[in-house]
Amino acid sequence: MEKILTKKALPQWVKTLTSYKVYFPKKDQENRWNYLEVGAEDMNLDFLNTTLPPKKLLFPQNEVFLEFFESTDGNQETLEVKEILPGEEPTVIFGVRPCDARAAWLLDKVFSGDFTDPYYWKRRNQTILVGLGCDTPPWENCFCLSVEGSPYSEEGLDILLTDLGNRYLVKSLTENGAKLIQPGKALFQEANPEDQKKAKTIQAESVKKIKRQLKNARGISAKLKGMFDSNIWDEESMSCIRCGICTYLCPSCHCFDINDEVDSTSPLEGKRVRTWDTCQFPDFTMHSSGHNPRPEKASRLRQRLFHKFRYFVENYDKFQCVGCGRCISLCPVGIDIIKVLDKVNEHGT
Amino acid sequence: MARIEDLKEEARKLLREGKLKYIIGYAMGSNGWMANPVFIKKPEEVDKLIWDPTCVHNLTRFLVDEKRRKAKEKQPDTRPVGIIVKGCDSRAIVVLLQEKFINRNDVYILGVSCEKAGVVDDHKLVKKLKGKKPKKIELGDKGQFIISTDEGKIEFPVGELLAERCLECKANFPVIYDVLSGEKIKKTLEKPFGSLEKIEALSAEERWNFWKAELDKCIRCYACRSVCPMCYCDECVIDSINMAVTADTSAEEKAQKIKWVQRSPEASENFVYHLVRAIHLGGRCIDCGECERACPLDIPLRFLNKKLEKEAQELFGYEVGFDPAQPSLISCFKDDDPEDFIR
Amino acid sequence: MEHNVYIPKLAKITEIKEEVSGARAIKTFRTVFTNGTRFEYRCGQCAMLSVFGKGEAMISISSSPLVKDYLQFSILKMGRVTSALHELEVGDLIGIRGPYGNGFPIENWKGKNIVFIGGGIGLAPIWSVLQTGLLKKKDYGKLALIYGARTSKDLVFKEECEELKNIMDVFLSIDVAEPEWKEFVGFVPQNVLDKKPSSSTTIAVTCGPPIMIKFVIKALKDLHFADEQIFTTVENKMKCGIGKCGRCNIGPHYVCKDGPVYSWAELKELPQEY
Repeated sequence: MEKILTKKALPQWVKTLTSYKVYFPKKDQENRWNYLEVGAEDMNLDFLNTTLPPKKLLFPQNEVFLEFFESTDGNQETLEVKEILPGEEPTVIFGVRPCDARAAWLLDKVFSGDFTDPYYWKRRNQTILVGLGCDTPPWENCFCLSVEGSPYSEEGLDILLTDLGNRYLVKSLTENGAKLIQPGKALFQEANPEDQKKAKTIQAESVKKIKRQLKNARGISAKLKGMFDSNIWDEESMSCIRCGICTYLCPSCHCFDINDEVDSTSPLEGKRVRTWDTCQFPDFTMHSSGHNPRPEKASRLRQRLFHKFRYFVENYDKFQCVGCGRCISLCPVGIDIIKVLDKVNEHGT
Repeated sequence: MARIEDLKEEARKLLREGKLKYIIGYAMGSNGWMANPVFIKKPEEVDKLIWDPTCVHNLTRFLVDEKRRKAKEKQPDTRPVGIIVKGCDSRAIVVLLQEKFINRNDVYILGVSCEKAGVVDDHKLVKKLKGKKPKKIELGDKGQFIISTDEGKIEFPVGELLAERCLECKANFPVIYDVLSGEKIKKTLEKPFGSLEKIEALSAEERWNFWKAELDKCIRCYACRSVCPMCYCDECVIDSINMAVTADTSAEEKAQKIKWVQRSPEASENFVYHLVRAIHLGGRCIDCGECERACPLDIPLRFLNKKLEKEAQELFGYEVGFDPAQPSLISCFKDDDPEDFIR
Repeated sequence: MEHNVYIPKLAKITEIKEEVSGARAIKTFRTVFTNGTRFEYRCGQCAMLSVFGKGEAMISISSSPLVKDYLQFSILKMGRVTSALHELEVGDLIGIRGPYGNGFPIENWKGKNIVFIGGGIGLAPIWSVLQTGLLKKKDYGKLALIYGARTSKDLVFKEECEELKNIMDVFLSIDVAEPEWKEFVGFVPQNVLDKKPSSSTTIAVTCGPPIMIKFVIKALKDLHFADEQIFTTVENKMKCGIGKCGRCNIGPHYVCKDGPVYSWAELKELPQEY
């Protein structure tokens, strides 16, 4: 069911969403945005893309799993363990680019399966993603089409907005999306065939504007199998400074660490915390004994690319890369995942 | 004007004669306007080298990698490594020499002088170009930056686009080199620490609020530390995770390692991380600005390090990174030091 | 409400036995859940043990699933969490969550002989299979144990091994000769070649230091064991234990979820990065 909402009416719609915590992309510096709670004057979708993807809100940088404390019950010392789930906080994130929503859809697969991650799902189930399709590529290094995404893809989104100039075409994709429109339904008009035609034209045009391309991604995935011992990884990782930016800012990366953080030792009081982690840090895979399966930068770059373009494909038949281009644009030394994979395409069989 | 052609001949000769293992330099970037670090192993590849205002990186960082690589090899290739440095980068090499982290004959320094210019700042460039995409940036003869875009060439006076640190540059030509391209034009610096004035004018509470807002953004990606040539410790004291473990490290040592900073990016932990790192760089940081450039969340880290550089100068008369024979700030004292408790 | 996989259940330590003392200390712990429950598991599966305030460590359950009274873990003191475990006393509480991993496919081994080849602490992960084999003797063929350690003081389950000599072949070894030692002197792979387990209808189950596993597999291949007849358990650094934190992967597999048990036929297809 498609509707129309004028850009002027967007803050008014948000005003009706009183039971939700609402995030918009807010400008930090020139060309840098991040999702923040904003005042009505900032409720617009005039942005390219955020530095930190929506994964920051669904799978935060740190969260508490449980708290533990020792107490003396009479003469007996007891240890109590308390589960700390995320609170009840219905949330709406406005302005999610389709690539980032697709990444959330990929993370959904990771955090379900044989075991369900209750912390991720508590947040995911109470968060509504309102997407904004990309009439032009937000970053110079976007390549969503090459990894089976598109500027108007719908996976992971509850609502998709298409910018028609002074108004949006609003497409509700899920039950949650339809529910979100309800409180402000008076602000929406029915979409007429002209609007729909205009939207289709814009969407078709957007596909032609994507500048960067990774050719033969599925072929590369197959070729990678024989490239495990290639010296291409050593060459391409020479300039890597193993900073972690590529993985921390990647919307579909999900590696994490679990640590106990103690507030008091006697009586024992503390919490078990999950934080982001990255396969690019040298100690990521180091055993207690000091043995490290990936001591070299080359093996860690190889792991990142294999995970995204081969192992994830073997497990889920999808790329774990949505082509958002953040890792390319923000790498301090310009390591370019498309360039590296192009080399694999050339050299591999 | 400094030109890369001057250095390419020397580079080719040294590689042909096998005198250098490889040369660390700048090449055309593939994913934006900035140059990328490149490692030239063969004389034929020397043509990849470029020199222009997009050569922002401090390549000295890769000398740390080279040392780590040699340490792991049973029979390391002990030939020196060539490196292209700007004035600021050369001061980083001086600090590494002062600390005896590397030897002078480990490195062959190909210096370039920034003369009256420097490197371009990404945020300023984006603001000035208003949506146009920069493809190439050159330094013009009249002291201006010439930016090539799809819509033609645009010129700006260098002062409008220079990185903040270039505006406070203390060494616009390398202070140590084996071969130099460009002229040694001394730049007069009116206010060597001018960028600190606004922050220093804030009250203690305002400063606290400023830093709290900035450090709340920090996601502890450790990019600031990873990009810094002076952060070369194998085991970082403000990282609760890493530990230099060998087969001889006992279980007790591993069990008793103190977690000075927790991994969670809470305000308290972020403050300790950044402030301790700044203190560990006091008297060592040469303000290459890489930490601030690398930070994906634009935390103004330069202020912390610049402040300590100012204190090193005001309290101890210490200039960082000019004389390889000078001892490091925290490992020496002078008779006229401000406090007398060490005498 | 579905149980939160990350929350451990509290368990009390009921027995501690010091197997090896000194720098490479090993202790065997027996634990019982405080709320009287237990979980069903398969041989070769592991559990995440929590010492609250220190962290978690993934340890194989070394008691047989047929033993209902306790869960047994043999732990080598290596780092932060294992050192903390070694400081605990009988009656102390720890957290346990699990069971995790894939377990040995012992249902496929009915009627076959099984030779157990262990080195050092590596005997613990395969002990559960050995114990199950002894409790269900009718289901399996001949059982044999080839086990060694650096010195006689580094052998685990010493008394149990001595007792086993009465009912099955037990071949012990130590790396360097000692005055009182009468059995084989040399590395475990050399002992394997010396004792020549027959490869027809025999499954080999091995675990130990990575270098030992490598040479044991080579020895077994020299003795004409097929890749499908050789089983091992792999170790990797783990945190979540459920295949989500991304740390323990070997290729597309997560050792905590798709392993730790692999036949050599399966393991050699994976990238050799562990």
